[in-house]
Amino acid sequence: MNHKIKYVFVALCLMIAVNLSANSNGLLWNSANDAYSMGQYETALNDYLKIEENGVHSYKLYYNIGNAYYKTGSMGKAILYYEKALKLNPAGEDAKTNLQIARLQTLDKIEVVPEFILSTWIKEIRNMISSNGWAYVSVALFAVVALLMLLFKFAPTTGQRKFSFVMACIVFLFAIFAVIFAANLRANANSEDEAIVMVPVSNVKSAPNATGNNLFILHEGSKVEILEEAGKWCRIEISDGRQGWMQMNDVEVI
Amino acid sequence: MRYLRKVLLLLMLFVGGSAFAQNTFTVDAPRVVGADEIFRVVYTADGEISDFVNPTVTGAEILAGPSPSRMQSTQIINGQRTERLEISYTFILRPTGEGIAKISPASATIGKKVYTTKEISIEVVKGEAQQGGQQSSQAEATGNAPAGQRSSQGEISAKDVFLKLSFSKTKVVKGEPIIATLKLYTRVPIAGFEDIRFPVFDGFWSQEIETPQNINFVRENVDGQIYNSAVLRKYMLLPQQTGDVTVKPAEMICQVQVRTTPSGGRSIFDDFFDSGYQIVKKRINSGQATIKVSSLPAGAPASFGQGVGEFSLDVKLSRDSVKAHEAGSLVVTVKGSGNLNLIEAPKVELPADFELYDMKTSNNYSYGVNGIQGSKTFEYPFIPRSEGVFEIPPVEYSYYDVKSNRYVTLKSLPVAVKVTKGDNVVSGGSLIQGVSKQAVASLGEDIRYILQGGAGFSAKGRFFVGSVLYFVVLALIVAAYAAVYQFLRRRAKLRGDVVRTRNRKANKVARKRLKLAEQYMQQNLRSPFYEEMHKALLGYISDKLAIQFADMQRDTIKETMEAKKVSKGNIEEFMQLLEDCEMARYSMDGGAGEMSAQYAKAIAVISNLEGEL
Repeated sequence: MNHKIKYVFVALCLMIAVNLSANSNGLLWNSANDAYSMGQYETALNDYLKIEENGVHSYKLYYNIGNAYYKTGSMGKAILYYEKALKLNPAGEDAKTNLQIARLQTLDKIEVVPEFILSTWIKEIRNMISSNGWAYVSVALFAVVALLMLLFKFAPTTGQRKFSFVMACIVFLFAIFAVIFAANLRANANSEDEAIVMVPVSNVKSAPNATGNNLFILHEGSKVEILEEAGKWCRIEISDGRQGWMQMNDVEVI
Repeated sequence: MRYLRKVLLLLMLFVGGSAFAQNTFTVDAPRVVGADEIFRVVYTADGEISDFVNPTVTGAEILAGPSPSRMQSTQIINGQRTERLEISYTFILRPTGEGIAKISPASATIGKKVYTTKEISIEVVKGEAQQGGQQSSQAEATGNAPAGQRSSQGEISAKDVFLKLSFSKTKVVKGEPIIATLKLYTRVPIAGFEDIRFPVFDGFWSQEIETPQNINFVRENVDGQIYNSAVLRKYMLLPQQTGDVTVKPAEMICQVQVRTTPSGGRSIFDDFFDSGYQIVKKRINSGQATIKVSSLPAGAPASFGQGVGEFSLDVKLSRDSVKAHEAGSLVVTVKGSGNLNLIEAPKVELPADFELYDMKTSNNYSYGVNGIQGSKTFEYPFIPRSEGVFEIPPVEYSYYDVKSNRYVTLKSLPVAVKVTKGDNVVSGGSLIQGVSKQAVASLGEDIRYILQGGAGFSAKGRFFVGSVLYFVVLALIVAAYAAVYQFLRRRAKLRGDVVRTRNRKANKVARKRLKLAEQYMQQNLRSPFYEEMHKALLGYISDKLAIQFADMQRDTIKETMEAKKVSKGNIEEFMQLLEDCEMARYSMDGGAGEMSAQYAKAIAVISNLEGEL
């Protein structure tokens, strides 16, 4: 009996705590937005980061953090947070624009190896909405498939039944695609294989030690792909295909 | 008051000091004299001498002196008056023997300050007695050279006038500076020069370091003979070839004055109308000279910059801290003596993120007796592209030390550069073209404003797809589908929709069975029609219920139909129709209308049964 009461009490406390933190996040969010609008970017940034420390995230939060970093002059961090925002919502038009502007301020101009055009198109379509968006779309499409199947079973005329069957197949295909996109975006968002250079200058070496030859240098704000990690070093690849070893401290994973 | 006095005193001291500084006290004496020659030593001051202390002379006797003289001149130029006072003390001396005559310093008090001259050493050689003790005064190249004259006339020997090209060294290494001096020695008066050809230094980098406009003759002792010598040219030579390098000699034609008339029979008119001198041209030549130039020893360090001599290195930054995207420069100064003008720039290594621009060189050296002295400055402009503290690694520079005959490597200390954060990238004036172009495009742009309203926070790493909720929703859809399907199916059954859907098929069966009956009906054959109807109905039911045609009894048909759960209405209708047909086969009443009604009834009954069986 006593135990039961205890559990209930603990559960209640937890709920209250969650509620409180949600509340405090909301308050922080508002005060940060106010500070930003007054031009107090440092204050705004601190509040946004406190929200992030509470273990929650959202596209808007990352986007606003990116803006605050941009205004305080830390381009590397700004780019990092815009990328984070775009990971959550690849369709975020504002984050895309600001990311481009922030990239203008970085020094490295890395040639991008052109991709197969079809995969670019598919990626563009995929990035039109977020992972959750695709999930909702897939649910809606499955519902439509079910409806069409019912129609196929109970339509009065043969023509109607035939039509609804074909439509059901097509919509089912679309639903499968939506599921794949949603899962793909989720995998992207959860992956930790991309990073942004955080120090003004970082030497990329031929081997994971300080004595390795310098292959090239990267500046703050450049995006790298992490291929493998070895101790304090990681093997990276930049978008033009060159690879090298970099210190883990120099980069921050998106 | 006291303060004012101090100021006044200071002012007076200053004025006084500057007044004293104007005074000079010099001595003038020949460098070389003949053993029997009477010569003069003159002390000159430009102020009133209050106390003149005589020098002591050894190796010569004072014939007369000190005899003071005073010269005062006043000049008025454009209303400006300058007064000049010259006080001189003259001694007339005669050497007591060959060797060195020494005259100790004399001192004089001018104003309140004591001035002292240097000690003078005069070389006394066994030479012919010469008139006019002081011969070292200036003579124009074209004018009369008041040189010692020879009593013999006409012939000018090679000893009377000659050119001499002397070198500071004749054995050198490549690049080691040499001073070459071209001197004219003469014992005869010279009226002028013609066709002067200066030496040609093939295989050397040469630079004239002294080119006197006026030829100053100085007395000099050459092998016990007193000559008047003059420096014509002084060269700085830097050997560029190795081996025995010959210098092409200098050549010139001297116009020598020779007394024509014998000293005895000269009339006063001769003296008046004729100078008594004749110009004799004499070609003189400095003679070939060879200089041995050895190459630098092997094993020069990598940082060797062709420098030969003695140098020091200084590396510094133009500014200690530079802003990113702003220009700074590394200044490397090589100081010392040697072939400074020919040294190469030292190699500097800048941090990877520095853009290095063209190096600038500035010279600050002079050509002297020890080679080229001074410094050469190399300025390496750079633009750091990012902030931070960088270290410029030590600059190494090697040269060949002539004194110790080995290579010496100089190494500077590493220099730390602090690059502070630059102003806006756009405002940096020293940007390279491409980047500034790109940056200008975003000048009027700003990032978009923050997003407000509900932030829609969610826990990190949580997504709808693949979550439990997602699968629950999918399951709900399937469940909903199943439920609706069941519901619709049941409702259709209730409404007989199922029968209707089957009707079409049943109808077809019925029509097929009653095809013959239909034909009879159209031919209005009453008896065969009913017979066919009866047969068709029985045939149908026997097929459907799987009853043997032989066992066809009404009761069995009814029972079997009831067992198959055919509705009562249908059973009764079927049984009625069967009875009607049987009856009508044998009765003659009824017309065509009755036949078609019975036919329709049969179709309906079969169709209904088809739906239920």
